[in-house]
Amino acid sequence: MSPLGKRFKLVDDFNQAENHDYHLLPSRFAGLDDGRYLLSNEVGEYLVVDRSQLESYVKKAVDQDSDFYHDLKSKHFLFDDDSNVAIDLLALKYRTKALRTSQFTSLHLFVVTLRCDYTCQYCQVSRQTDDKHAFDMSEETARKALALVFRSPSPAIKIEFQGGEPLLNFNLIQYVVSEAKKLNETHKRDLQFVITSNLSFLDDTVLAFCQEHGIHLSTSLDGNEALHNSNRPRPGKNSYEITVKGIKNAQRFLGRDKIGALMTTTEKSLSQVRSIIDTYLEHNLDCIFLRPLSPYGFAVKNHQTQKYDIDRWFEFYKEGLDYILEINRQGHHFVEVYTQIILTKLLSPFNTGYVDLQSPSGAAIAAIVYNYDGDVYASDEARMLAEMGDRKFRLGSVHTDSYEDIWLSDVLLDTLESSLSESAPMCHDCGFLPYCGTDPVYHYATQQDVVGHKAFSGFCAKNMKIFKHVIKLLEDPDTKKILTNWVR
Amino acid sequence: MTKHELSFDVRVFSLETIKRALYRYQDKCSFDIQLRDSDIVIAFESSIEDMADRIKREVLDQDLRDTISKQTANVRQLILANAFSNTGLIG
Ligand code: SF4
Repeated sequence: MSPLGKRFKLVDDFNQAENHDYHLLPSRFAGLDDGRYLLSNEVGEYLVVDRSQLESYVKKAVDQDSDFYHDLKSKHFLFDDDSNVAIDLLALKYRTKALRTSQFTSLHLFVVTLRCDYTCQYCQVSRQTDDKHAFDMSEETARKALALVFRSPSPAIKIEFQGGEPLLNFNLIQYVVSEAKKLNETHKRDLQFVITSNLSFLDDTVLAFCQEHGIHLSTSLDGNEALHNSNRPRPGKNSYEITVKGIKNAQRFLGRDKIGALMTTTEKSLSQVRSIIDTYLEHNLDCIFLRPLSPYGFAVKNHQTQKYDIDRWFEFYKEGLDYILEINRQGHHFVEVYTQIILTKLLSPFNTGYVDLQSPSGAAIAAIVYNYDGDVYASDEARMLAEMGDRKFRLGSVHTDSYEDIWLSDVLLDTLESSLSESAPMCHDCGFLPYCGTDPVYHYATQQDVVGHKAFSGFCAKNMKIFKHVIKLLEDPDTKKILTNWVR
Repeated sequence: MTKHELSFDVRVFSLETIKRALYRYQDKCSFDIQLRDSDIVIAFESSIEDMADRIKREVLDQDLRDTISKQTANVRQLILANAFSNTGLIG
């Protein structure tokens, strides 16, 4: 018999199947809305079912001739004597999803200076000083950090320059890019660079440099002029004007795909999501990331305020997404990035590289931060927490610790292991787990515990609301068509 | 705040199942759990009108979850072992 013949039976065999027994495959469920549930399997395939369907599935009472049985079987929620290849298929799909973890750290953030010309209230890290030596990264620190970067086995490496305002230490950026490129002649990785900047110092020299090395720019645009200026004060009160001019210049010299913008949501943003989106459209940006309010303020809020904030933020997100869908219906391709990440998880066999929605946590194993002084942190949030006085997630220093010291440090390994969603209370049997992740730094910041009690968690509340909303949106065929187009 | 008491027959529901269900509502109320004869008795105070119904439903849900995880524990191991084995894609 041919290998294929061994593996697959003839169509007639399926039609003649008489055995009504079936076995459950691993699955989880979660309430979706009144009386309906989301049933998902280990690799994220899903079905929306009602209570009686759910019960009959678990109690093995589903009629084998029904459409529901067929759906359960084709989406790998059960197997019977005709489909025992299901386990192999699931293993293969699981492997595809898990691949990302084994590739290890691909995003390396270099905090090249803490100095900044802005005085944003919510920023915990920036310093207003002309003293270059106190808060700038030195060449020696950068060289040592680069040696660690290339120890990562990841085939793709992205180096992102952050601050403060990184262009205030442009010389060091030039140094890192040229050194990294030299090192990459031997390492041969897919090497990319990003500068996250407020664009105040984007002049012809910087633009020419970015063009020469294919560097991407990422900036902040919080919305219309009044909102942006009030969120991002600088001497001259003209941050909007400067940013918008910078975006235009970058689009012209580098190309539209080489510049993107991120927004920070503040209290003031919550009532003006449409106007924020209009600002993005006006400046020819083709996506927006409607980000939640950050919990890493000077005062980390207590649990209840967190949840209250999430409810208000969710209304903001929902209104924004509705408006964006309306824009898409008019033929304009414009994407909301968080929804896009979730759609990719819901509709494709691939995992996304998005650091906050991974288990094991993306901290340090998907992205890592080298601070200006050589301290290494598990994430950008970990660095902010340290600025607020808690150095829990400081993993070591490029000056005194080796690659092994940093990535095998107890604090990192303990955190990764104890915060796995697959073993966390509430998460381990939650239907949304395949699309969700674990955020130990967030839970530590808000609950002083890396696992976190999910009933109190703003992270859980936010994601659950979004998952439910997106899954329900996908039930409308026209909306599904648009959203499917967003999947990367 | 209204006081509520709910009882579950230990021959039908395990203590684990009930504890897991209550865990999900700890942001809403705190619970006393007692064993009385063959019943697990839960006492709590809540101003949420349908709290008792919600808990009952959650216990039933949790019971289904436990059935799934018991019945699929072996297969789950098998899938993970296959997924992470180095012996080629499908062994
Ligand atoms: S964080 Fe919440 S939504 Fe995510 S897997 Fe855990 S319980 Fe589910």
